[in-house]
Amino acid sequence: MSAPAISADHLVRSFGATRALVDVSLRVEKGTVCALLGRNGAGKTTTVRILTTLLPADAGQARVAGFDVTDQAAEVRTRIGVTGQTATMDELLTGAENLETIGRFCHLGAATSRRRATALLEQFDLSDAARQLVKHYSGGMRRRLDLAASLIAEPEVLFLDEPTTGLDPVSRAEMWTSIRGLVSGGTTVLLTTQYLDEADRLADTIVVVDRGRVVAEGTPEQLKASIGRPFVRVTLPEADPATLERVRRLLGEEAEVSGRSVSAPAPQGLVTLEEVVTQLRGLGVPVHEVGLEHPSLDEVFSAVTSHSAHPEAPAISRAGGT
Amino acid sequence: MSETTVRTERQLRGGLLDAYTATRRFVIRGRRQPDVIFGSLLTPVLFVVLFGYVFGSSIVVPGGNYRSYLMPGLFAMSVLFTAGNNAVAVAADMSEGVVDRFRTLPIARSAIVIGRSLSSLLLGIPVLVVMIGCGYAVGWRADNGVGNAVLAFLLFELFGYAIGWLGVLVGLLAGSAQAADVIMNIPIFLMGFISSVFVDPANMPAWLRVIADWNPMSAVVTAGRQLFGNTIGPPPSGVWSLEHPIATTFGLALVIVIVVAPICVRLYSHSTR
Repeated sequence: MSAPAISADHLVRSFGATRALVDVSLRVEKGTVCALLGRNGAGKTTTVRILTTLLPADAGQARVAGFDVTDQAAEVRTRIGVTGQTATMDELLTGAENLETIGRFCHLGAATSRRRATALLEQFDLSDAARQLVKHYSGGMRRRLDLAASLIAEPEVLFLDEPTTGLDPVSRAEMWTSIRGLVSGGTTVLLTTQYLDEADRLADTIVVVDRGRVVAEGTPEQLKASIGRPFVRVTLPEADPATLERVRRLLGEEAEVSGRSVSAPAPQGLVTLEEVVTQLRGLGVPVHEVGLEHPSLDEVFSAVTSHSAHPEAPAISRAGGT
Repeated sequence: MSETTVRTERQLRGGLLDAYTATRRFVIRGRRQPDVIFGSLLTPVLFVVLFGYVFGSSIVVPGGNYRSYLMPGLFAMSVLFTAGNNAVAVAADMSEGVVDRFRTLPIARSAIVIGRSLSSLLLGIPVLVVMIGCGYAVGWRADNGVGNAVLAFLLFELFGYAIGWLGVLVGLLAGSAQAADVIMNIPIFLMGFISSVFVDPANMPAWLRVIADWNPMSAVVTAGRQLFGNTIGPPPSGVWSLEHPIATTFGLALVIVIVVAPICVRLYSHSTR
């Protein structure tokens, strides 16, 4: 396997008495999307700022696109794109002027900068607004322009710090589509988010950080599997107590009734589901829906970042991960 | 050619290109802030009216014609005001996300601050042109020929450019746009008023006169008056800066740029929000 696009080893960073990063290590393979998931203040932005050469680490090492972020910062900067949490576009410039300026700063030359700017504005559905000043843009348009700006020099590695925070649902969905488009083009992406569904939808791997430490990592599936087994849920057309009770008894001792559905562990997954369906048919009760469900990432997140009395012993640790 | 020479040359070319791009950005920005341009015009134009006519009628200066005496001072003041805008603009820039964006780009570390200082120089030119128009309207004339007049304006702009770097420095250190405004503009006002810009220091109390005589602003204005031919009699003896005003202005501007510019570059590249 080739060298990872991003590797960080034991990053430490304090701001005065605040220990923003206690120990963060991560590895992102080329062409994959990694989500850095955590609450506010978990250390996500600090990690990104170190990896994008904006902030030196107190200890630890990091390499991006094969170069050390401290000793070879200039090399790193020619290979990365960064979209920060705050809008970084100039309000008094038009969308096109902003992108062209960034292109010129990346030494693409005037003509190439203009061509790339036009193409990116098209790609991000901003062509109509290309000649408008950014101060007239909506929040979603600004974020898309920001993302476009970080792509102008076709970076190998893209950092997105909370790309959808504060966006309305429609703009969020548009950002997701844009990000997925990039990944299909082979760009490596490290994104930070506090939204589990965002990590679930976009990321190949998830690194959960909490209070400056990595508390869990793996694929979304690995993380979900690590927290608990799947369960089967039978939903009836009506909340009829007698029928619910019959189904509950059928599903065994661990079955629980909630509303008009009954759920029970499905230790063998699909095999258990098949058995349940057959038995339900034998029982002859009307059924609205039967399905296999996995624990949500929300539960994983709560489990690993629960600020319990034993923060050093999270509910799960290092699920999978290579 | 050795490899290092090639790399240095490429760095230099890249640096110049980056400075050009940054200057271009700031000029485009500046043109779209008519309030700022209007603001930097308003004060000196008001001064033409206030001092040229309201106070001027009771101000006596050597040479007799107060408005001819006043205008070179107001040219220099307008250049100074434009330069002062840098402090507020840089402080505002530093508090926005745009700085982070620039710092993750492969830009020469000096580009943004150089761009800022050059753009304020360029944006100040129209203001100066309006002021020259005002001067003509109120009867000021350059009596020493076009060449010397151009030289005087170049000297003013050079001085403004140097003060512009001080503005960048204040903007980098101030922490907020409001703080930068106060830190920059109060000294500019004091420098303007305790000098020979508006009145002849000869009539000031002795202690104030010493300050006014040695105030660099007096040297700048005296240099201008000499080159324009708006002479006002012999300089006070023993004040070297007024005996050699052109050399003083030129030297001072050069020293400020040489000292302050590298500090600004360092501060900028080490700044974090």
